[in-house]
Amino acid sequence: MFGKGLLKGMKITMVRFFKPKETVQYPEVRLPLPDRFLGKPEFYYDKCIACNQCVAACPNNVITLKTETVEKKKIVTQYYFDQQYCLFCGLCAEACPKDALKFTKDFELTQYKRQDIKLKFVNPEQVAKKKAEVLQAALEKQAAQEKQAAQEKQASADKQIASEKQAAGNEAAAGVC
Amino acid sequence: MAVRQEEFVLNMGPQHPSTHGVFRIVLTLDGETVVKADPVPGYLHRGIEKLAEARTYTQVIPYTDRLDYLASMLMNWGYVQAVEKLMGIEVPLRAEYIRVIVGELARIASHLVATGAMASDLGGLTGFLYTFRDREEILDLFEMVCGSRLTASYMRIGGVAKDLPEGFVPKAKEFLKKFTLSLAEYNGLITGNEIFQRRTKNVGILSAEKAVDMSLSGPVLRASGVGHDLRKVRPYSIYPQFEFEVPLRTNGDCFDRYYLRVLEMAESVKIIEQALASLPEGPVMAKIPRIIKPPAGEVYTEIESSKGIMGVYIVSDGSPKPYRVHFRRPSFINLGYLAEMVRGWKVADVVAILGSLDIVLGEVDC
Amino acid sequence: MLENIFVSSLNWLKNLMAAVELPAPLADMLILVIKLAAILGFILINALWLVYMERKVSAFIQGRIGPNRVGPFGLLQTTMDVLKLISKEIIIPAAADKKLFLLAPLMIFVPPLAIFAIVPFGKGMAAIDLNLGVYYFVAMASLSTVIIWMAGWSSNNKYALLGGMRVVAQMVSYEMPLILSMIGVIILTGTLNMNGIIQAQEKVWFIFLQPVAATIYLIAALAETNRTPFDLVEGESEIISGPFTEYSGMGFAFFFLAEYANVLLVSVMATTLFFGGWLAPFGWTFLPSWFWFIFKVYIMVFIFMWVRWTFPRIRVDQLMGFAWKVLVPLAIANIFLTGLGKYLFLS
Repeated sequence: MFGKGLLKGMKITMVRFFKPKETVQYPEVRLPLPDRFLGKPEFYYDKCIACNQCVAACPNNVITLKTETVEKKKIVTQYYFDQQYCLFCGLCAEACPKDALKFTKDFELTQYKRQDIKLKFVNPEQVAKKKAEVLQAALEKQAAQEKQAAQEKQASADKQIASEKQAAGNEAAAGVC
Repeated sequence: MAVRQEEFVLNMGPQHPSTHGVFRIVLTLDGETVVKADPVPGYLHRGIEKLAEARTYTQVIPYTDRLDYLASMLMNWGYVQAVEKLMGIEVPLRAEYIRVIVGELARIASHLVATGAMASDLGGLTGFLYTFRDREEILDLFEMVCGSRLTASYMRIGGVAKDLPEGFVPKAKEFLKKFTLSLAEYNGLITGNEIFQRRTKNVGILSAEKAVDMSLSGPVLRASGVGHDLRKVRPYSIYPQFEFEVPLRTNGDCFDRYYLRVLEMAESVKIIEQALASLPEGPVMAKIPRIIKPPAGEVYTEIESSKGIMGVYIVSDGSPKPYRVHFRRPSFINLGYLAEMVRGWKVADVVAILGSLDIVLGEVDC
Repeated sequence: MLENIFVSSLNWLKNLMAAVELPAPLADMLILVIKLAAILGFILINALWLVYMERKVSAFIQGRIGPNRVGPFGLLQTTMDVLKLISKEIIIPAAADKKLFLLAPLMIFVPPLAIFAIVPFGKGMAAIDLNLGVYYFVAMASLSTVIIWMAGWSSNNKYALLGGMRVVAQMVSYEMPLILSMIGVIILTGTLNMNGIIQAQEKVWFIFLQPVAATIYLIAALAETNRTPFDLVEGESEIISGPFTEYSGMGFAFFFLAEYANVLLVSVMATTLFFGGWLAPFGWTFLPSWFWFIFKVYIMVFIFMWVRWTFPRIRVDQLMGFAWKVLVPLAIANIFLTGLGKYLFLS
């Protein structure tokens, strides 16, 4: 009765004393993280189609997305991710239809300055580049369209001429009759 | 000279090492004996129920994590089950199996904290570290499944977020094998210790009638000899398919409340083993509309969480956001008899009784 | 050579003083001051080392590594901790009794220092060879109760008050079995001199002759030093830190180090009374006597730590019940049996 349980506990702790330790010496040694780990988010600018679904999915209004319409096409000009309010639930990444938002394995989110906490994913060069691309594409498209339109116009004009000619011919024929 | 005697008021908490968070009890003491206790919860109130009204149905899920953050999987489950019932969604079988597996793992994790915290509340810090060592492995498994360790947000309305990752099943099996040995270790170090038994046996006795009167639930109720476990008496999900027992203790003292959790962990291991063995293939998400818009009406469902009966009441007005959500949090209701339970016991027993009730302040204050 | 390293160096000092023709009383006083300074250094270094050892032992028992960053193997960890504590502000609560509050941490080192003066660290290595050694130990050891109670009362904090009340109740109760368990040994030796007690164990250690007394002593010693399972005074999970709740900076460090000085003290007494003091086991005299003494003391300290990191804490009323209903009757029975045995076999 009295004492047996105590001795058993002493034995357990003594056995533990000599067993290998569980501690992982963190900054030097790191445990592998699983692929699904929800760490610092990452944004792929080129994949984003500015559909706003991540903004709608977020329970905490962490994401702010600013767009600009260039030539009828939405372009993301700013993508703020206010990390301090993030719950790391992953609903935004799940909502994204193009996998433009992903969570990396980086879990060391501490910052020295408060303003660094808010993540700004988009830089002006990217926007400028995208804009230029869109404009270029629009121009090309316009050019192509114009070309096509011109061709079509030409074709229709030719057709008209032909039909006019035909009509004139017919008329002439009728007149002859 | 006459000796003047008087009672004094000791404000225990909200900052106290063993109130398990920011719980506060105002104790009126006569020497070391408690004359009157006045629990003051509410220091962790974040208004989750109100917040839920401004969120869509899916967006509420991460907030349920923050109720009982030691068993967030179970909290997710309780909530999504209510929405599913409201919408009449049939959950795929594989998803149900996954829910049972992660849910029971969460139950073990939660009970491990309760067991370890009980030991550390009574001064044996080593037991606490032993249980946390094993809980770490469960958290690793959760991390594999959903990317988060504590706040899982894993379940979705109509299923679970993602299928189990590769390597999960063998890792879980390995853990279960190791865990059975660990249970023996806890029993040797904590349960069998005579000092521990002296401190907990016949302390803070809660009779079955009182427990039922106050609608207490979970291990606290079952330690008083009332075999009320929703998984058995009103089965939900696929629990009827598994063979397990509901452990029962009859004394209703601190030791029984503690030991019941150890026994329940062993039963949970059995359930997980069966579920892992018969895990079917198939989809993990039911076909649900893109925007979740339950029909107008109300619903109340319950699950057996690690702390007791976790009920969710939802009123829908047909919009994509719930009109009202209410959570029946077992920890909060289990605190109902605390004032009466600690009366007449010593200060040290207050800590033991509170530890045996196993409260989580996220859940108490909601 | 190694055996007498301390004694001979002291003799050399004495000779030196005689050579420079220092007046005899002054020389004696100087020698005494040097001895006491050496003891103070011994206590402080050991307390620092014991904090480190405690952290390592607890870590190893709990499957951790423990301090390992400051210095090689983390050896400088406690030194750095103390340096940090020195640099911190000492906060005095507004409603505290200022004089007592500041006096308590200063006084806490007095009883251990006073007791260590009579401890024979090796053959002929006691600073003061007192005839009433054990009696002196008992008298001095009970003083620390008053000092801890002073800290608890003057803090004007309810947790501190509870802790202070507990320390009085606990120490007074456990003084009884502690003293009674020593009486068994004293009956056998017939002397209160610590060197005499050690020399009486030449043939057999008293742990074998007085196993009950030894067990009672160890349990009571645990309670005397306020360590788990009897750490009610601090009772971290109940009354925060007991009498030390309001102390910060060096005040806290003093109490903290004094706890380890006390652990060392009861281990020293246990070694002296029951484990043959500086006598070498199995006649292994190739190592000096002071080495054996320190070695045995550290084994005792390790056992205390091992117990601390295995057991939970006992409750106040159980603590009292255990002392008065179990330990005291057992100790008295032990005295009776010892007396009877001595009468039957030795006379």
